[in-house]
Amino acid sequence: MTPETVGLIGIALLVVLFLFRVPVAFAMIIVGAGGFAYLNGIQSAMHLIAQDIFDTFSSHPLSVIPTFILMGSFAFASGISRRLYLAAYTWLGHLRGGLTLATVLACSGFAAICGSTAATAATMGRIAVPEMKKYDYDDSFATGTIAAAGTLGILIPPSTVFIVYGIMTEESIGKLFLAGIIPGALLTVFFLLTVVTLCVRNPKLGPAAPRTSWKEKFSSLLGIVEAVILFGLAVGGLFLGWFSPTQAGGIGAFGALMIGLFRGGFSIKVTLEAARDGLRTACMVLFIIAGATIFGHFMAISNIPFELADWVGNLPLPPWAIMGVIILLYFVGGFFMDSMAMIVVSLPIFFPIVKKLGFDPIWFGVIVVLIAEMGVITPPVGVNVFVIKGIALDVPLHKIFRGIYPFLVGLFVLIFLLMLFPRIATWLPSFM
Amino acid sequence: MPALERLERFNKKVALSLESIGVFALIFLVFITTLDVLGAKLFNLPVFGSMDVVMVCQVVAISFAAAITLITGRHVEVEFLINHFPPRTQIWLSLLVRIICLLLFVIIVWVLTSFAHLLQVRHEVTPTARFPLYPFGYIAAIGSLPVCLVYLSLIIQDILRLKKK
Repeated sequence: MTPETVGLIGIALLVVLFLFRVPVAFAMIIVGAGGFAYLNGIQSAMHLIAQDIFDTFSSHPLSVIPTFILMGSFAFASGISRRLYLAAYTWLGHLRGGLTLATVLACSGFAAICGSTAATAATMGRIAVPEMKKYDYDDSFATGTIAAAGTLGILIPPSTVFIVYGIMTEESIGKLFLAGIIPGALLTVFFLLTVVTLCVRNPKLGPAAPRTSWKEKFSSLLGIVEAVILFGLAVGGLFLGWFSPTQAGGIGAFGALMIGLFRGGFSIKVTLEAARDGLRTACMVLFIIAGATIFGHFMAISNIPFELADWVGNLPLPPWAIMGVIILLYFVGGFFMDSMAMIVVSLPIFFPIVKKLGFDPIWFGVIVVLIAEMGVITPPVGVNVFVIKGIALDVPLHKIFRGIYPFLVGLFVLIFLLMLFPRIATWLPSFM
Repeated sequence: MPALERLERFNKKVALSLESIGVFALIFLVFITTLDVLGAKLFNLPVFGSMDVVMVCQVVAISFAAAITLITGRHVEVEFLINHFPPRTQIWLSLLVRIICLLLFVIIVWVLTSFAHLLQVRHEVTPTARFPLYPFGYIAAIGSLPVCLVYLSLIIQDILRLKKK
């Protein structure tokens, strides 16, 4: 068999293992090592497993992942999210659909200190769902808004998906973070417009809550300050070149811990629980990266990515049409796979094509993250939807999904705008 | 089945204990990074070998969290297809998958131990502070051992479920 045939069989086998519910990380190790053993011998495959796992776990650049994840866990446990929501609620709650507007804004603010969609949705869901129930908001509208707004977590920096994308493609994490800011702000505006439009068409979806006094409004702004400080310290320091990504994550996690100790009344128990939660997520992500590294080595010796890049590059189609097909594949893949796993598996195959076609890798990173966002809120594997379902136990899954669909329009519009005007994503990184 | 329950309890206890060490390594990683940045930016005095400490702390943290990450179901899986199969088929597939994963982790323990031995023989050290690397190779192997035990208990569970049906 030629290496290319072995590579194709490997990809097919990987899909079968995924469908049989083998954890994504382990499936990639099995197929990667198996294919490598077939092409290069068992001894070198055994060495590859050990070397790639140990190199991943001991990688200094990769320590950016546990530190930023820990920052999010500490920020969640320290009550920053609750204070952010309270601030947005105090200013907007009296409007029709005001609690959902507040949720979108609070998600956007929390996304600036937390890099995970599920964590953002879970955090805001726990706070916003009871409030919306209290004021008789429509269940589908309320839960759908929280699940959709939670996706801002991976677009607005810091973002675990951008970090993994940057590490796998050797692109600057700082530039990727900067690239996410304008699309993140635009998506926030689109989500706000979606809420307003829905509430104008059907005022019963989100009745107004009582008006608050100006004193309450201004005092609530204090709740935003700590989030701004944390974002400025960690992500701002990274943009200004003060810190490396790992240092920024470390400083961010330390800052979130300090806020938790002084403002959130952290006990040792709470601190350890938050750290345990962060460590488990980091362990899952690093295992996926180790698996992807082994699978990537197999793909490299099978020549598949290079052959595919050559073949696609010579197709009698304009680059935009090929990019359209890649986006479609990511979109369909997002229905069935976790966003992080999908990106890690597909990048070794698609990234050489994207480069060969001459697209900006930073711009592609933003596109990939946006499609990943869709994946976490579309059936059947919508992680954010399951998170919200875990909070709003009495709301059926199909109702949550129904509430999400209007928000997909905003995501589609943003992808379309990015295709037409790539500078939306590449303008800010050009200053770095 | 008291023996299986005992094995599960043992696995969880071991996994939680190892995770506690991992948590301390992770928090230490954050502290050393912060200290290094503050020292370098404010006093022009970075912590010598901080990069090496971060590297080895990460190995300890991630390796020792492997078992509890599995027990708490944090690994990403694609579930949409298998849920449509009849219950008995689901158990058979689950058994097959878990046997494959057990074999994988037995191999991982073995290759990581051999790799650690290689690091020891070659006197491999970290880049700046020049700590010996081999203990951390063994730590990575040790961290994967309880994963094998967790899979073993899951396999026994599946076999018992098949017997019941």
